[in-house]
This record gives sequence, C-alpha cells and structure tokens, in this order.
Amino acid sequence: MNVVQLEHLTKTFGSVTAVNDLSLNVPQGSIYGFIGPNGSGKTTTLRMIMNIFYPDSGKIEIFGRELDESAKDRIGYLPEERGLYQKMKVRELLQFYGELKSGRKVDNQVDDWLERLDLSDWAHRKVEALSKGMSQKVQFIATIVAKPELIILDEPFTGLDPVNTEAIKDVVLELRSQGATIIFSTHDMSVAERMCDYIFMIFRGEKVLDGTLASIQDKYGSDTLRLRTEAGMTALQDLEGIEKVTDYGRMQELRVQPDSDHQKILAEVMSRTRLLSFELSKPTLHDIFIRIAGPEAKEANHA
Amino acid sequence: MRKILRVAKREYRTSVRTKGFIIALILMPVMMGGSALAMFLFRGQVDTRDKKIVVLDHSGQVADVIMQAAEARNEAEVIDKETGKKVKPAYIIERVEPDVDDPLAHRLALSDRIRRGELHAFLEIGPNVVHPEKDWETAKIAYYAKNAAIDTIRGWMNGTINNHLRRVRLSDVGVQPQQANEILTWLEIAPLGLVSVDEAGQIKEAQRSSEAEAVGVPLILFFLLFMMIMMGAMPQLQSVMEEKNQRIAEVLLGSLKPFEFMAGKVLGGLAVSLTAASVYVAGGIFLLRRLGLAAFIPYQIIPWFFAFLVLAIIMFGSILAALGATCNDAKDAQNLTFPAMIPVFIPMFLLMPVLQEPASSFATALSLFPPFTPMLMLLRISAPAGIPLWQPWVGLIGVILFALLSIWAGGRVFRVAILMQGMPPKLSNILRWAVRG
Repeated sequence: MNVVQLEHLTKTFGSVTAVNDLSLNVPQGSIYGFIGPNGSGKTTTLRMIMNIFYPDSGKIEIFGRELDESAKDRIGYLPEERGLYQKMKVRELLQFYGELKSGRKVDNQVDDWLERLDLSDWAHRKVEALSKGMSQKVQFIATIVAKPELIILDEPFTGLDPVNTEAIKDVVLELRSQGATIIFSTHDMSVAERMCDYIFMIFRGEKVLDGTLASIQDKYGSDTLRLRTEAGMTALQDLEGIEKVTDYGRMQELRVQPDSDHQKILAEVMSRTRLLSFELSKPTLHDIFIRIAGPEAKEANHA
Repeated sequence: MRKILRVAKREYRTSVRTKGFIIALILMPVMMGGSALAMFLFRGQVDTRDKKIVVLDHSGQVADVIMQAAEARNEAEVIDKETGKKVKPAYIIERVEPDVDDPLAHRLALSDRIRRGELHAFLEIGPNVVHPEKDWETAKIAYYAKNAAIDTIRGWMNGTINNHLRRVRLSDVGVQPQQANEILTWLEIAPLGLVSVDEAGQIKEAQRSSEAEAVGVPLILFFLLFMMIMMGAMPQLQSVMEEKNQRIAEVLLGSLKPFEFMAGKVLGGLAVSLTAASVYVAGGIFLLRRLGLAAFIPYQIIPWFFAFLVLAIIMFGSILAALGATCNDAKDAQNLTFPAMIPVFIPMFLLMPVLQEPASSFATALSLFPPFTPMLMLLRISAPAGIPLWQPWVGLIGVILFALLSIWAGGRVFRVAILMQGMPPKLSNILRWAVRG
C-alpha cells in the first residue's frame, strides 16, 4: 500500500511555479529521500502533503484516503526551519506538542525519549538555554513523540554533529523497522545513499529522478573511472573518450563517454604514467545531482 | 475543539504563570487609581510657609475686613490644636495705599516684589465695589500672583470679600445684621435617586445619589473593561508575529488547522482576561462590603460586563491575531499596533460626552456601532439614569455578529498570512486575503 500518493500536483505562487505536475508514490514502511537544490520545490511538496499548502491542481491521498485534516494526527512533521517556544521548559514543550497531536498524555514517552537522546538533564530547563544541536534533538522528539505512522523530516540532520547525526539516524531506522514510513529531504547525498530505499529528486518544480538508488544509477550505467596515478591530473589532459575529469587531489574521477572503451582509456593513461589503482563504477548520487543541477547542466540548458 | 483547548491551555498557562501577569494584576489598578491615590496620600503635603499679601484698597472698605478675617483664620486654622504643629500657611495681609498717579508703575513694583519672593500676591480692590451696578469698570477686584488661576488664596479672598460686601449693601438699605445672616443663608440641593417599591410592597424613599455612584461605577467598569481588552486581546498581535517569525507556526500547523491555532490563542487570551477580571470584580465586591458600601455594588451590571468582555476579546483578539499573522518582523508589528488600537481608544475619547448624556442619540448611535459597543454600552448601562432595555440587547446581538465576522475574516487572513514571508502587511493585501481567503 502507498502511504502517500501524489497525482499531477501543481502549485504556483504568483507567477512562479513551485511544483509542476508532480506524481509520486511512497510505499508503506519505506524511507523515501527527497533531494534537490534549494528552492526547487521540496518544502512546498512536503507542505502540501501536510495540508498546510493547498495544491492548485492534482490529488493527494494519504493512508489511502483523500487528504484531510484528520490525517495530520497520524503524521509527524519536522519543518526545515525549527520552531520552538523559547520560554517554555523542554519537558512541557514536548508534552504540549505530543498532546496536541495524539490527544492523550505523553509524559512517559517524553521522558523515555529525553533519556534516549541524552537530554534528561535539560528536561526542566527553558528551550532558550539549549544549544543548537540540543534544540534540534528536542524538535525531533516533538515530531515523533506521538508515534506517527508517517514521519516527514525536512533536513533533519543539518546542524548536528556526527554523534547526534548517528543517534537520530538510528532512531529513524528503528521507527521504520516498527512500521513507520519516513520521508526526509536532505542535501547530504551520502546520507540519502545509505539510508533511503527510494530517492526522489525535484529540480525547478519538476520531478527529475524517482526510484531506488540502483535503478537511478543503472540509468547512467558504469560510466565512472576512478584513478590514482603517479602523475595525477597532469597525465589526464586531453584524453579521448572522456566527458569530464574531476580532480579530488589524490584521486581523479573520469566520466567516460557512452560509446568509449574503458580499456583503451586505461591503456592510454598507463602509457603516460604509472597507474596505482583504478575502479570502474556507477556514478554516485552526488555526481548525478551535480549532473542534473550543477553549472554543467545550466550551461547545457543555456546552449 | 480538543486542539483549540490545548492551544488555549498553553497560552493561558504561559501567560498566567509569569511574574509579569502577577505584577500587571497589581499594577493595573494602581495605575488606574494612581492619581486619586496620590492625591489621597499626599493630601497633607501643604506648603506651610506664611503667605504675605499686599492689599491696595481703593474703596477703603475692604482691607480691614480682610485683615481681620485673615487674623481669625490664622488663629483658628494654622496650628493644629492637638499636635501643636503648623498645618497651614498664615496669611499676612499688608495694607498699602494705592498710587493713584501711576497705578501701572505701582503694580510693576509690587510684581517685582513677588518675583523676588518678598510677597506671595497683591490684591487691588476697585473704588466702587460696594455698588458695582453704578460703574462696573471701577468695581473690579484683581488678584495678582504667579499662579493666580489656581491659587487657593484667591478662593478664600473671594468668599471673604463678597460676604462682607453683601452685608454692607444690606446694611445700607437698613437691614439689621441679625436679619442679614438669615438673608445670606445658603441651602444646598440634595441629589436623590428615584423613589421605589421594595420587595415587601412598601414605598421606599429615594437613596441619596452620590458622585461615586453617578461617575464612579460607570468609570470603574469602563476602565476595567478597557484594561481587560488590553490584557487579553492586544498581546495577540505581538505573540502571533513572534510565532510566525520563530517558525513555531509551521510546527503547529503540522498538527492543527490555522483556524484552530487562531481560535486557541484567542480563547487563551480570553481566559487570561476572565481570570484577571474575576479577581478584580470579586476583590471589589469584597472590599465594598467590608467598607459597608455594599449599596454601591452594581450586581445587575456585572453579567453585562462579563458578556461584553467575552465578546470584545473574541472580536478584537481575532482581528489582532490575524494582523499579527501578516507581520514579518517586530517592526511590522510596531507599525500595526497603533491603527489596531484605534477602535479601543476611540471610546476613551468619547467617555465624557457619553457619560454626561448617556441617553442622547449621539451616545446611543455610537454605542450601537459594534467595535465601540462593549465599552460604550457598558458605560451607558451603568450610568444611574439607565437606558431602555432593548439597547444593550441590540448592542449585544450586533457585537455577536461582528465577532463572528471577525473570526471568519480573521481566520482567512491568518491562514493565508501565517506562512507567507516578505509580503508587507498592507491594507490592500489584508482585505484581499480576507475576501478571497
């Protein structure tokens, strides 16, 4: 069953089309990653799923029913910009958010989560006393404390140190294993690659990628050669059959043209310098993102 | 409804549990009754330094009388008999012959003495004060001082001189001093309410009507309502702006409808006002009963007070919350605060004309204009003269309808504006959002 089903969704603000004819299915129990450059329509899409923005056209179904207000009680939403009452105490704030969503007392759950995310000592302090990372964790608890079936996280890892990022990631995976469906938007491609069952990319309001990481990568084929050579970048000038060379310092990445032979390219490199290591692989999500939304794509569009 | 109540509960608790609320609860009546309290507390603070006054008596008939009266007063009132302390200034009267050749130069010289602090004032009495009808120009009495208009000595002089002049006039036509006393007797007219029939069917004499009842009760209820609106509705503008600015609004909208959010906030503000109003009303009743002034408690007005309070907070609260949602930052909120407060302040400016003539068509019409109804109608009902019973009811219905309109329009503006960034809160935008939703 699809927990979220979007059909031909369009939303405009004045003359700007934020989301154009978007269709998407989020299966139950999956982790769905939303990626895309800033201002591409991710947050607008999430707000439409939350019934905060109404689409100009198209249909939204949540839990198999047309979206209405009652669905909100089953969805946990962490907006991109965090909003906490600064003057409230942490525990009271979480009780408020939890009770608002679930309609029942959530005192025990609040205490459990505070304990779990190492915030028990801060339970009776005001939010304004918390560091940015702690506020982020409090906001995350507020999102999940009422045990929602669908969890929507807009940039959940920004501002977190590696330890807290791991802690939140573990909780997200645990909630998924308990049956929750997770949608999250992120700019961190490696997180998306590691965590998401499905990846959806939106660019200028249009859907440009949708599917599993493997299926997305398959579209591009094994067109990436990663090399380490003694001469480094200097040995890779003016190679034939190469679309682009990216220099990472100790390692270079070559994007091979579709009809070129990898063997010939390697032989040419070896004739110029000593090859230390090589790997033929599919492009990373990061690379795919750049190909779609980077300066290269802009140039291609302008041409 | 559950969510509205939960938001309201949070609003209420965060407002009421602050020190600010307790301080405001104490400070408000202090500020309201501040000037009256100050007058009461500092009533004993009189300048007891002697006041030297020069009298230029062109008539030759008044100066001596003033001197005698001043001496009698100094004897009787300046020193407190029990404590032996000086409680009032003595009036030292100095008689000076007027300079008839150059009266202006003489007045300047005396004025300079006042400027130097040697004198408090000087009094010039015209030659024909006994029979002013003959020539008003020469019958003038003038009091020259730095603060002549509000100088209490001028009032004392007025009474003393006129009392004497009347006696002289009576004596001139042959009236004996004893008869003169009776002729000059002054009787006050007693202000009374209306005669009524009590529960036992007996005719009850009218109560003595006092200024406290005529002005005090309406004024207290009027200002209390004003303060409660300021406490319960006004903070919405700032508070919603902050929630929008700090992105709390979006988090909450992930759990409830914009309308529920707004309604919860308004309801919370209402609960805060009702708490404070109940404290004041209960405290007032308790105090008046303890002071034996139970007759002044307007029990029949209190339900009207609460009804208008509830509706005023709903009406103004929804409008202010919606306006708060249109603000992007504190500066926007600051710019909107003044225009938003106008409907609450206009009744303040209309206070005196409405209080003096509560039954006039001017007062009636204004009090039936819904934004002004709660404050002005309450003022008119509580005035002793009373108003026809249909008027508060019609006013009440008008306010209910207007409050519903405010909730509807406010809710629409709130929904559109609460997540909108960078759009200035212009009237045209606000009206468009209210109409189109």
